[in-house]
Amino acid sequence: MKLAEQRKIGRQDILFCMARAADSSRVFCGSSDFKVYELDLAADEPARRTFSGHRSYVTGAALTAHGTLVTCGYDRQLVWWDVESGKPFRRTIAHERWARKVAASPDGTLVASVADDMVARVWNAWTGDLLDELRGHEPLTPQHFHSMLYTCVFSPDGEFLATADRVGHVVVWELASGNPVATLESPEHYTWDPRQRRRSIGGVRSLAFAPDGNLLAVGGVGQIGNVDGLGGKALVHVYDWRRGERTHKFEHDGHKGLVEDLHFLRDGRQLLAGGGAQKGFLLLVDVERQEFVYDTEAPMHVHQLDLDLSTNQLIAVGHGAVVVWQMDDEA
Amino acid sequence: MSRNSFCGSQDHAMSRRRFLGATTTAAATMAGVGVFGDRALAQALKQKDKRVIMLWLAGGASQLETWDPKPGRPTGGPFFDTATSVPGVRISELMPLVAARLHRHTALIRSLNTENGDHGGGSVLMMRGRKNEPNLEYPDLGSILAHELGQADSQVPDYVSIYSQTEGRNFSKIGPGFLGSRYAPVQLTDRMGLENVTRPGSISELDHHQRADLRSLWSQRFARGRENEAVGSHATAYGRVAGLMASDRLFDVSREPQRVRDRYGPTQFGEHALIARRLIEAGVPFVRVARAWWDSHSQNFESHQELVPELDRVMSTLLDDLGERGLLDHTLVITTAEFGRTPQINPSLGRDHFATAWSSTLSGVGVNPGAVYGKTDADGQRVADGEVGAGEFFATIFQALGIDHEHELYVGARPIPLVNPGIEPIREVLA
Repeated sequence: MKLAEQRKIGRQDILFCMARAADSSRVFCGSSDFKVYELDLAADEPARRTFSGHRSYVTGAALTAHGTLVTCGYDRQLVWWDVESGKPFRRTIAHERWARKVAASPDGTLVASVADDMVARVWNAWTGDLLDELRGHEPLTPQHFHSMLYTCVFSPDGEFLATADRVGHVVVWELASGNPVATLESPEHYTWDPRQRRRSIGGVRSLAFAPDGNLLAVGGVGQIGNVDGLGGKALVHVYDWRRGERTHKFEHDGHKGLVEDLHFLRDGRQLLAGGGAQKGFLLLVDVERQEFVYDTEAPMHVHQLDLDLSTNQLIAVGHGAVVVWQMDDEA
Repeated sequence: MSRNSFCGSQDHAMSRRRFLGATTTAAATMAGVGVFGDRALAQALKQKDKRVIMLWLAGGASQLETWDPKPGRPTGGPFFDTATSVPGVRISELMPLVAARLHRHTALIRSLNTENGDHGGGSVLMMRGRKNEPNLEYPDLGSILAHELGQADSQVPDYVSIYSQTEGRNFSKIGPGFLGSRYAPVQLTDRMGLENVTRPGSISELDHHQRADLRSLWSQRFARGRENEAVGSHATAYGRVAGLMASDRLFDVSREPQRVRDRYGPTQFGEHALIARRLIEAGVPFVRVARAWWDSHSQNFESHQELVPELDRVMSTLLDDLGERGLLDHTLVITTAEFGRTPQINPSLGRDHFATAWSSTLSGVGVNPGAVYGKTDADGQRVADGEVGAGEFFATIFQALGIDHEHELYVGARPIPLVNPGIEPIREVLA
């Protein structure tokens, strides 16, 4: 694969998340200025509308089966938006601490949210009713500081939800019962410096199920010598989660920082990772060959990626920019 | 120069110990010190029993995530602010415990421009109140206060610095400078206790006491008829060592009730703050408790989610504990660092070094509780009102402790004022 940068839209803010309707060039991006921006990436002038309703960073966005947009933020809210009017029609204080991410189930009928209260909540995507609370992540780190529940993802069949936290604890939940069916430990993603600086950094920031649902990729940063920075290697572990076995470890020697987002490609044979530290990166892994087959520096720290298979475009949002690349599969 | 010459003049030279011994009882009953018309007397009474705990947030805490939040601004980050017990004053939501107590003991200075954004330079500056001169090394605050507040025959150390993390430990280059090693800090790093003061196992407790008694006897005989400062100093030094040997228990927090330890929390910083309270209670004039390392060039908000709630708990508990014990009438708690952090948020979601517009607090004795001095602009990029530097901050500390900031120390015949000439304290934060 090769990437050709097709468009870069510079911005003053930080975009933490995005949601895009299938086969559409319209994206909804959550911002550090507490707003949600609708952009049309195919238009000469991409800015369309601005949605106001959050009171802190907007960190998660998902589109439901009903065409509504659900966002979450560090204001602890979930906000349901009518994307046509740009108005919120439901707001819920969904969590007691920062809400980090929302994900929509594959059929778009459920929304899951995770937050630093260490609870994953499952919501009816249409009514906003709370359907379940999934509790299995410790509220404090072993060093007595608040932990953080960073990310969640639905399995492709919609039967499971995976959640992951700061200390590298990953739980796979069966949604029908609300029970944890697998737990994985990935402590390499968490660095605690007990001596030199006495604080921590890291955490699992990204998850992706393979299309067959059997493998779960877990992304973040490896061990860090100086916790003032994100100088650890970009790190992805892949688990056969049902067996509780780690099957792959991908650690990039050249790119440092957090793997913020992960996507399986080509029926699960490849894995795309984006993230960064002071600089951004994109990495492509061949899962079967167990090696990196492509890497490039991104023009910004990447917070979220999306693949538009209808146009073969890769879209990234991040620190001060939205970038669109054309993917060349033949190279 | 005698160490307790209150105005710096040999004409008024008098040891504080002698002075206080002669005057404390009388002074306690008089209506006001002005009847003596003696500035030195007033000064001495004000200084009596004053103590200081410095919470040193090494590496540089973010003022935006503590004392000077800018919610909703591009530089403000994701945290909310919260109301404090002082009407109209808001601080970071990460500090609800201190916020609820702000009116009781604490004054807030939001307009420090200390100009030096380097860890080493900033640390040296914020421990001395000024830059060293090429040929003159100034004493740090702890050494000055050991000199000004310490008792010659004290049985406890005059200056203790607790700094367990390794990063930045030596950046401040703390030390007595021209005051000499008598005022050097006892520096605790790994082990909380004094090094090399334990009685050798080969000497029994009885032997130890008998040797001390014998030494004392011979010293007294030698000193008879010899009015010599060196002789007295020799005996005092032995007395101090004996005191220091006995003071090891002060560093043992297991002697505190569990409920007290629980209040300070489970972290090392909490434990160290509790040790500081024990030391202060025992008469140590100056204790620095360093909490390193706040240098959040990446993931600033995650780091401050760890460090600020810990600071909130430790600082509020320390103030409560000191207050309940009546110690806050005599004790100043300084919360500061070498600098603050940039309003700009970098691509790693970090904040970098920033000395242009940042904050510190003073709590306790001599402080106008609830006072807020100075103001930064809407994005925290510049001081908008009341700009002060390290010198003004130090002058304010001295005044809060009843020490004239224009008081002079001497290097040979050269008078050295406590702060550089022309520097004034921040009157608005003084009681």
